[in-house]
Amino acid sequence: MLSQTLVNGIATGLVTALPALALTLVFGVMRFANFAIGATLTFGAYAAYYFNVGLGLPLFVSAVISAAITAALCVLVNRLVYQNLPGASGITLLVASMGVAFLLENFVRFIYGNSVRGYQIQAVRPWRLLDLRISQEQIVNIAVALGCLALIWLLLYRTSMGRAMRAVADNPSLAAARGIRPARVISGTFALSGALTGLAGVLIGVDGAVEPLSGYNYIIPVFAAAILGGIGDPVGAVVGALVLGVVEEMSSLVLPSTYRSGIAFVVMAVVLMVRPWGLFGTEPIKK
Amino acid sequence: MTTVLRAETIAAGYNASRIVDGVSLTVNAGEVVAVLGPNGSGKSTLIKTIAGLIPLSAGTVTIGAEDVSGLDASARALAGLAYVPQEHNVFREMTVWENLALAYEFLPRARADSTEVMALFPVLNDRLAVKAGRLSGGERQMLAFACALIARPKVLLLDEPSAGLSPRYVEEIVATIQQVSASGLGVLLIEQNAAAALKIASKAIVLVAGQVRHAGSADEIARDESVRKLYLGGED
Repeated sequence: MLSQTLVNGIATGLVTALPALALTLVFGVMRFANFAIGATLTFGAYAAYYFNVGLGLPLFVSAVISAAITAALCVLVNRLVYQNLPGASGITLLVASMGVAFLLENFVRFIYGNSVRGYQIQAVRPWRLLDLRISQEQIVNIAVALGCLALIWLLLYRTSMGRAMRAVADNPSLAAARGIRPARVISGTFALSGALTGLAGVLIGVDGAVEPLSGYNYIIPVFAAAILGGIGDPVGAVVGALVLGVVEEMSSLVLPSTYRSGIAFVVMAVVLMVRPWGLFGTEPIKK
Repeated sequence: MTTVLRAETIAAGYNASRIVDGVSLTVNAGEVVAVLGPNGSGKSTLIKTIAGLIPLSAGTVTIGAEDVSGLDASARALAGLAYVPQEHNVFREMTVWENLALAYEFLPRARADSTEVMALFPVLNDRLAVKAGRLSGGERQMLAFACALIARPKVLLLDEPSAGLSPRYVEEIVATIQQVSASGLGVLLIEQNAAAALKIASKAIVLVAGQVRHAGSADEIARDESVRKLYLGGED
């Protein structure tokens, strides 16, 4: 029972890690919490639905196209909204992102309505390993999420673009003085964030269903994971999501499953009160 | 002598207040120009304005023959200006190697081969895998200096490079400034340690309340009794 809960928690945590990483990357370079992450996730899920069910493309191909379209959407939103608010505070940008979320979510509702939908995938019996029961969807989700996280790690720590993203997140003035163009780095970060979130939307749709509230239901776990790890820290976001996924699943052993989202909220509240810089963040120096 | 940096009647500040007002200076290739003055005189604002980190309210900044007044900091770096801030002058969460890599990856004129620069700072060779935030203050300053030189700039802006360093590191920094200046690089140096700055500078300006109160050769400024007593702490 415990090992099954642990596997379920890791699967949930890895999927949550993708939007949590997206949130933390954008926070790193823009210093605002992008509330539109949930609606972006919904958009990604529906974009893949259009190609998979509407045009009959394989889900893998639909997911890749969806990630690319969602990346382009995020770059466009940055150009049209956030770049037109130069010098705005983090709170102003957060409110602007709420407006973006409202528009995106209702755009999806306008096209597809409120009904719950699903991808065209073959139902396969779950695998059994000792006492463990692992669904094919869980295996796909774990593999895709791990692959994405490995690619993002390589990008951030082994390429000049990744170094530039980390440099702008660490010290934007110094990065500019080193010839790094912040606008280009911010565009790249939004593209990466969009691709990760769009793909997460597809994985959530594979494991459950595609519905207008898919993303909204993930906002609190995604924010909680990023805050738990130390918002702005990419490794922290992944670890935070894994810890949260396992804690949420473990909680279902003692609490009704309806309390799961409450667990994320409690984790977020406790971290903000006790260690607001998170597990991997550093305490700000008080002057 | 080739002029590598020219600032003409520049004004800048924060919000509506002008911290620097009507300051002009020139830096030629191979010379060190010192900017001196009491705390709060606008020295750091001046250097940040020239670096493009604070917008100009008035005046012009030229690097070589290129007017960069309307350009941002990254474009000025591309034009040949390297700036070493007093604090937060390295990316603390990155290793020494990553800091050095970032110094040339986005600047076409920079040197990918850092051997020549690293020879000036041998202490860094053993610390390449260490996070910059874990270096001592002196080592961090060396790293910041190395990053600036790898960019192969036309002019180097240094904001109080000796602040908070042990005498050993101050000596090393001063010797390095002399060395790079002798190789033809123009250096604009802001320094609280006026005596040390005047020893290596050929020209100096004294900034008071954001305006140039005295300007001349470093020798003239060093000999001027009133300047020494009023603005330089009466140092010998």
